[in-house]
Amino acid sequence: MERRTFVRNSALMAGGIFISKMDAFADIASGVIKIGIIGCGDRGKGIMHVINQSPDKFSITAICDVLDFRLAEAEKLCKVSPPNKYLDYRLLLEDKSVDAVIVAVPLHLHYPIAVDVLKADRHLYLEKTMTYNIDQALKLVELSKTRPTQVLQVGHQYRYSPLYYRVKEMIAKGYLGDITQIECRWDRNANWRRPVPAPGLERQINWRMYKEYSGGLVAELLSHQIDFINWAFDTHPHEIFATGGIDVFKDGRETYDNVQVMLRYEGKNSMIGNFGATCGNSRDGYLFKIKGTLGTVSLLSDEGVFYPEKKMLQNKELVDGVTGATKIIWNKEGGTPILTEATKDGTWYAFNEFYQCVQTKRLPDSNVFTGARTAISVHLANAALYDKKPALWKDNYNVV
Amino acid sequence: MEKYLNIKKVCAGMFLVSICLAVIASVPARPPLKKYHIEGYSEGTTYQVTYFAPDSVIAQRQTDSLLAVLDEAVSLYQPTSQICKFNRSASGMEVNASFRILVSKALEINRATNGLVDITVKPLVDAWGFGVKKPRRYPNDVEVRALVKNVGADKVWLEGNYLHKKTPAVQIDLNGIAQGYAADLLANFCERRHVFNYIAEIGGELRIKGHQPDGEPFKIGIESIESNDITPQPLRTIIQPSDGAITTSGNYRKHLEAGGKQIAHIMNPKTGYPTQNEMISVTVWAKDGITADGFDNGFIAMGLKHTLQFLDSRTDMGAYIIYKKANGAIADTATVGFKSFMRN
Repeated sequence: MERRTFVRNSALMAGGIFISKMDAFADIASGVIKIGIIGCGDRGKGIMHVINQSPDKFSITAICDVLDFRLAEAEKLCKVSPPNKYLDYRLLLEDKSVDAVIVAVPLHLHYPIAVDVLKADRHLYLEKTMTYNIDQALKLVELSKTRPTQVLQVGHQYRYSPLYYRVKEMIAKGYLGDITQIECRWDRNANWRRPVPAPGLERQINWRMYKEYSGGLVAELLSHQIDFINWAFDTHPHEIFATGGIDVFKDGRETYDNVQVMLRYEGKNSMIGNFGATCGNSRDGYLFKIKGTLGTVSLLSDEGVFYPEKKMLQNKELVDGVTGATKIIWNKEGGTPILTEATKDGTWYAFNEFYQCVQTKRLPDSNVFTGARTAISVHLANAALYDKKPALWKDNYNVV
Repeated sequence: MEKYLNIKKVCAGMFLVSICLAVIASVPARPPLKKYHIEGYSEGTTYQVTYFAPDSVIAQRQTDSLLAVLDEAVSLYQPTSQICKFNRSASGMEVNASFRILVSKALEINRATNGLVDITVKPLVDAWGFGVKKPRRYPNDVEVRALVKNVGADKVWLEGNYLHKKTPAVQIDLNGIAQGYAADLLANFCERRHVFNYIAEIGGELRIKGHQPDGEPFKIGIESIESNDITPQPLRTIIQPSDGAITTSGNYRKHLEAGGKQIAHIMNPKTGYPTQNEMISVTVWAKDGITADGFDNGFIAMGLKHTLQFLDSRTDMGAYIIYKKANGAIADTATVGFKSFMRN
């Protein structure tokens, strides 16, 4: 392995039969983890909804946001008991009722808050992208290494779904053949803004529009797919080309609303990744295709289809019928579903993993090392995009 | 005179020939057979019928509804099906003709296989994660022993169209035999339409009759045994079977994994545990699908030696078996009758 990546050998991978995890062989100490939430925006509240589904695993004991109305909204989501509320996250970190902290704040704050959480001896679930820049990613890796008993999981939740584990396995087993092309989109026909109750809050609420706080569409959306490719192939982009602009919404934003990034991967799998996002068309929405000499995988967040290359079906044309156990069902387009049923939201699986990692002090699959690799990839993509020149991976980015 | 007579004979002969020719010419030539193909979806899988006839005499809506009726009787995926109602019932219920035929045949095969084919395995199938509802964990020894108490052919019996169960906990699963029977229904439908050259396939179980219009026998591929359950598999071998049914049962796909062990989907009704032996796949030929499909899972549970013994003296059934040798190598074998189908 090029770097530290971990493959889970679980029922999830055995064919994706069990969408709800079957944990007959897991040996997990019982206990509810007391959670503090830093950042109660849409994502923070979204996570609260998900962990509220597992009262046997999590209890939200403290919440923090710099905006009063966000705190009030989040408080309503704490059904069991009223949480302690904070406007300053450092006070939440002093709260003894908190075992683990979920950080869902604007990107530029990820690093300083993550450092404080770790130094406060708490486990950390840190939203993606892990850090705002490369230097912070490398520093967070070093800090995390000195605190091996504290869990740091990065919120690339999509790949926690059994579907994405299954696709990783299919890639590893060579079902797709030699893979050379990745195609991704994450499009919308909307301005990607949140409503602002008072003009003075524009930059705080619409932080994604401003370079000072955000990595734009690449960091907030495409990072999930970039991360999956890094993880599934145990690789990283070696060379990145990009173009983009503010083409749809000339509304004072700084981050581009129309981007296209080309990633060149070298090594065992030499591939081209073509990642794009726009705010000016929603036809494709989320698109994620992985193309190999034997077939294509086409993914949504909760379902996927495998399309074998036509040549794979040729030998069937020599016969009048085929007998076999457990027949593969092909749809009209010549594809077959990767899993037999749609998965739950990735966040559900991600927090299942977070719970188990905290209980067993295990390194999560989406950890500080893979998180750094993706954060660096994202930063390089943005460097190529905004500096208008190719960006190259450097040896000192290889974190172990 | 003689010559004259001869001339008369020749004339008479020519006359007869010309009459014969006229008669032959007046009989219309048999129209050429054309190939027709139907593809549909039933019993959670796809089915197809390829047939050769002068005209299109079978419509997909007919085959769809034929199979839908069977689905309504024996599908475990339809909560309103007769089988689901039976499984929920306390002591049994009236069942329809297809249901009765399937149960009656399954009970007959149960006796023939000394209990290795058993439709009452449903609680085990569910417990081991192959049913409609997925369990949260695998059963332990105590739970398996408890489940086995409700398994056994003596737990269900037919009285006319009434299917009885001994205790409310008894539940049946006809998935191991229903697809073969569905192929029979498709085949019978063809023959009722005077189609005698066809291949009917559902979920990898086939009924075959006749040949190609040029007299070539139908070729049937047997899938290779890759455990990969998503990519199209190369064919392991091609056979040219006699009229009848070809079905395959195998442990190579649709298995789960726990603690590094593979869990096969075919249950041993006696132990309550998934089958675990040298058998990888069995392809069975028999006169009809209900028989071939009814026996194939049983052969997996029976193991190689006993299956070959069982089929040794039979001419009404044959099998092609892929198995794992003691040294781990994959090997195959076939009964004498089945070998005659193999061309390569």
